Order: sequence, then C-alpha cells, then structure tokens
Amino acid sequence: MALTFGVTSLLISAVLGVVTIRLASTYMLDQRKESAGLQATVNAQLLSGALRSGSDGVEALLDGFAGDPGSAVLLGAPGRWLTGGRPVEAGALPKDMVAAAMGGSPGRLLITINGATALLVAVPVEVGTTVFLQLFPLSEFNRIYRFLTIVLASGVLAAGLVGVAVGRWASRRALRPLAQFTAAAGRVAAGDLHARLPDQADPDLRQIGETFNATAAALEQRVARDTRFAGDVSHELRSPLTTMANAIELLRHRKDQLPPTAVQAVDLLDDEVHRFQQMVLDLLEISSSEQPVDEGAWELVDLAVLVSNVATSAGVTLPSIGTPCPSIFGDRRRLQRIVVNLIDNARLHGGGVTGILVTGQNGHARLEIHDAGPGVPDEFKPQIFDRFARGGLAGARLDSGTGLGLALVAQHVRTHHGKTWVEDRPGGGATFVVELPAGRR
Amino acid sequence: MHATLLLVEDDPRIRRALGLALNDLGFTVVEAQSGEAALERLNEIAVDVVLLDLMLPGIDGLTVCELLRSRGDLPIIVVSARTDTADVIAGLEAGADDFVTKPLVASELGARIRALLRRRRPGSEASTDAPRRLGHLEVSIADGTVRRSGDEVHLTRTEFRLLAELVSADGRPVTRELLLQRVWGYDYFGDTRLLDVHMRRLRRKVEADPDAPELLITVRGVGYRVNVDAAD
Repeated sequence: MALTFGVTSLLISAVLGVVTIRLASTYMLDQRKESAGLQATVNAQLLSGALRSGSDGVEALLDGFAGDPGSAVLLGAPGRWLTGGRPVEAGALPKDMVAAAMGGSPGRLLITINGATALLVAVPVEVGTTVFLQLFPLSEFNRIYRFLTIVLASGVLAAGLVGVAVGRWASRRALRPLAQFTAAAGRVAAGDLHARLPDQADPDLRQIGETFNATAAALEQRVARDTRFAGDVSHELRSPLTTMANAIELLRHRKDQLPPTAVQAVDLLDDEVHRFQQMVLDLLEISSSEQPVDEGAWELVDLAVLVSNVATSAGVTLPSIGTPCPSIFGDRRRLQRIVVNLIDNARLHGGGVTGILVTGQNGHARLEIHDAGPGVPDEFKPQIFDRFARGGLAGARLDSGTGLGLALVAQHVRTHHGKTWVEDRPGGGATFVVELPAGRR
Repeated sequence: MHATLLLVEDDPRIRRALGLALNDLGFTVVEAQSGEAALERLNEIAVDVVLLDLMLPGIDGLTVCELLRSRGDLPIIVVSARTDTADVIAGLEAGADDFVTKPLVASELGARIRALLRRRRPGSEASTDAPRRLGHLEVSIADGTVRRSGDEVHLTRTEFRLLAELVSADGRPVTRELLLQRVWGYDYFGDTRLLDVHMRRLRRKVEADPDAPELLITVRGVGYRVNVDAAD
C-alpha cells in the first residue's frame, strides 16, 4: 500500500521531470541555433566583404570570430581551408553539409567533435568556391542542462520518498481498526475471553466492533457458565460422596465379617468411590483454576526444593538438580500439584518414574520427569493435556486415573505463564517437560 | 486414644455415615444437627474435639466457632464443603485449630483428631528447660505458659505448639513444611494457609504491633523464626 503510493508519486514526478527537461532543452537549443545562425551569417558577410576588397584582414577576422574558447572557424573549400580558433580536422566535417553550402544553401548541424557536442553552421560566401563554417561550443548549454537534470532528478526522488511516507501513514491510519480487530480476535482465539475492541468513530466500523464485542461477551459468559456448572455439580456431589466414602470405609474395616464375594464387591466399590472422589476434587480444582488468578497470594518458590520434597513424600528417588535453578514466583499449592500429577501420570501410564531433573536455563526453571513407558505416539502428543484424553490405548479406561491429571498440570503451568509438553526419550519412554519463567519479585 | 467428639452437621446422611465410621475407629460420637443444638450439647456433656460444618441452618458455623473460642481452648476442626481461600481463612480466623474439606473419610479425620489431641499443653513432653525469654515474652515450654511482661497470655494449644516449635529452634528459621508436620502432623502437603492464619493469630496475641512483628519474623520463601535479640 505504502509502496504503491510511493511508486505512483515517483512515476508522476518522473514523467513531469522528463517532459520539463525535454521542453527546456529543446527551447534552449533552438534559441542557441537561431543566434548562432545569425552570428555566422553576419560573420560570413564581413568575410565576404574582406575577400572582395582583397584586404589582408581575413585572417585577423577569422581569429577574431573564434574568440570564444572551444569555437572554431573555417573559410574556403574542401582541400584549401583557412582556419581560426580551435584546430579542427577537415575530415571530421560533414561532407554533405559542406557540399550543400558550396551549392548555395546554408545549414546548421549538431556534431560531435573531440568528444563534445557542438553546433556547426555553414554559410555560403561565394557560391561554388567559398564557404564559411563556424563551430559553436555548447559547453554552457550542457552545464545548464546537467544542472537542470540534477535538480529535477532530486525532486523526483524526494517526491517518491514523500509518497512512500504519506502512503504508509495513510494506510496505517486507514487500517488501524482492522489491526485492532485482528489483534482482539487473535487474543480471543488464544483463550483470552476478556479481549474487546475499543469504540470506533467510523459508523461502519462501529457496527462491526459492537458485534464483535457482543460475541466475545456472550462467549465469555457461556464459558463462565459452563465452568460454574461443572463446579456446582462437583460441589453438590461432595455430600453424597462423603456419605458413600464413609459407609464403604466402615464396610472395609469389617471385611473379616463379610462373605468373600461381598468383600470383592466392597473392594470394587472402594476403588471406584476413591476414583470418583478424586475426579470430583480434580473437577473442582479445574473449575476454580479457571477463575481469575489472585497473584497477590503468590510467593517465591524454590522449585528444586519443592520437587525434592514432593518426590520424597511420593517415595520417588531424589531428583537430580542440574544447573542452578532460579526461583519461581507462584502458588505453592498449584506448583506441588503439577509435580504430584506428573509423578502420578508416570506411575499410572508410564511404567514408573525413572528420573526427575530440575535445571535452570535462559531465565527459566525446567522440570523433566522421565518414565519407562511406551512413550506417547506423535499423533497423540498435542491432545495428551486435554481433559479426559485417554490416548486411545486399549484398556486405558481400566486404570485408576481420573483423566484430569495432565489437564490440571497444563492449566496450572499456563497460570504460571509457563509451557509444558511431552518428548520421546532416546531408548524409549517419555519425558514430560515443564518450563516456568523465573520469578521477578 | 479414646475421645468424645461432637459432630455438628446438618446433612443427616453424612452425620450417620461419618458418625458410624468414627465410632468404628474408637471415638465416642455425639451428634448435633445445628449450631443451637451443638451449644446445648456442650452444656450437657464434656467433649474433647468439636467437628464443625461451616454451613449450618440457624447460627452459622463461623459464629459457633467464634463463640466456642471465646469460651476457652476447646479444640475445633472445621469441616468445610468449600476450598475457597476466603472460606477456609474465615474458619481459621474464627479460631479453628484445623480444617478438612468434603469429601472426607473418617480415617483421614481420625488422623487429624489424634494429631490435635497430641498437642497437649503442659507436661506432654518431659521438658525441664528453664523458661525462655523472647523480648517482653517469657515462654515456659515445660509449664505450657506464656507471660507477656508478667501477665499470662492465653494461647490455644495449637498456637502454643507453634510458638514452642519456633522458640525451640533458637532463632534458626523453621520451614513451613516442618511446622506443618510438627504442629499439625501433616505430611508435606499441608495447606500453608493453615500456618499463615495461625501465625497471624499468634502475632496478635504476643506482638506489640502485629503488622510490624519484632518477635516472630517471616523468612521469605522459607518459613518463620524467632528474633532472639528482641529488646525487652
């Protein structure tokens, strides 16, 4: 857009410049030719008079005529020239013109002699025997022409640049609402449902802006309602779950009084209620994490110490601490949850934790959890952090996971402005990586 | 460890199930379906620990908690259906010693009750240490008493344990994890809000200016320590 502006303005000014130069130089050259012709005719008459009177003044006259530097005069006929001023080789003279002048018709011609353009005027002095040739240098004209060219070329260039600048300014101005729209839509798509467009002055744009904002607001409300619903449902489930869990606990303590089949049934119930309970807690945590985060309660946390504590209480071999790991500014409970869930995941789906690594690099703290499982197929990597993503593995539903563990990890990592992903390990197994920015406070 | 519990819960099914399961663990359980009923029961029988649901018809749980705390040092565990920070903190500010969230199982609750009952005050440990001075405070771990410029300060057993742990460290920082473990018997995952609110309550009782503590110092990112060089 800006470039188009620039190129257009450049073209217009270039055309104008060329036309100006053309007109000016043609006019100046015509003027010069006219005056040169007159001067040469007068000179020829003077010479004619001098020749007729047979005086010796001819050579003095010739020298006088060629007073200007670079000009030259010749008198006579091919083969016997009298010359004055700059020496000119007779062979360089245009034969046609000399012949025409011998025949009685004067002529003017632009010729190039010794690399410079000059105006040659031929005037017959005595038809058939004598012609007068005068060479007028055009150096003055050339200087003016060059000067004019430079001035106009600079003008054209300046016009082009100004065109680009004006074009850029104008297009920015014209496209600003569109850029805002793109940015806001991008933010909504990236999950920031608070993104809105500022009020637009242009009536056409105002309508688009209002529609966009209304859509975003509806979407935000909808998401909030869904989240609240999930939270409410989980919340309502707490009471019956408490009753069930305690009734089953009582039964479990009385296992020895139950027939073997009933014991199996109690065990099944116990497992399922336990999982159910964990699922409700995870759902509640997910829905509460979707509320705006209160960073006021955050603190500086030493990730290496936190990971080491969590690993120890989970009965996992102590993690190796790599390069010094920066402290993180965050919510201790959520950070613990990230580590716990990753360890649980490695145990449930990855054949156990084979290593934990905490390192620091480029202003980030990095946590790696290695497992001994089959790894994660490439096509499943992007979804593994989704809720209830089970990897399509046969029998995966039979495990005791809630399907929410990694989703919670991803959510808590996002809350801490970090990133998480899964990598394959050379030699088998998966590595879950969490990168969190170093704390500033 | 035999103990009598007062279970204040308005949902009859939870009350039954929890009562049965706690009974099964060896506790004597007295039930109350409202705050009013709870206060009546307390006038009739002696209980060791109160399990208090915060959402009650009539007088709400927080009010009951404050009322009980104003009467004395009866251990209170708040049973909350919500994990929202505000709710938990309100319960702790009202004077609760500990809190658990639903869904909860009797065995988990039993562990909390035992930890709380272990937090006995005087003579529970064979400490013969002389009373320690801490600024204008005199802390006698053996007697379970705290004097502030000579006058006895009334601390709950939880507040006293917390202070005793810090004083015993002689000015070295004590991590939050260790305090949660030593005072409340939690494993590593104890809720640090529990600690922070208790610290606030303790400071209100012993510091000249609780907002600018001179005796109980926060060590950022670690925990707390006492200032052994505090002026009298």
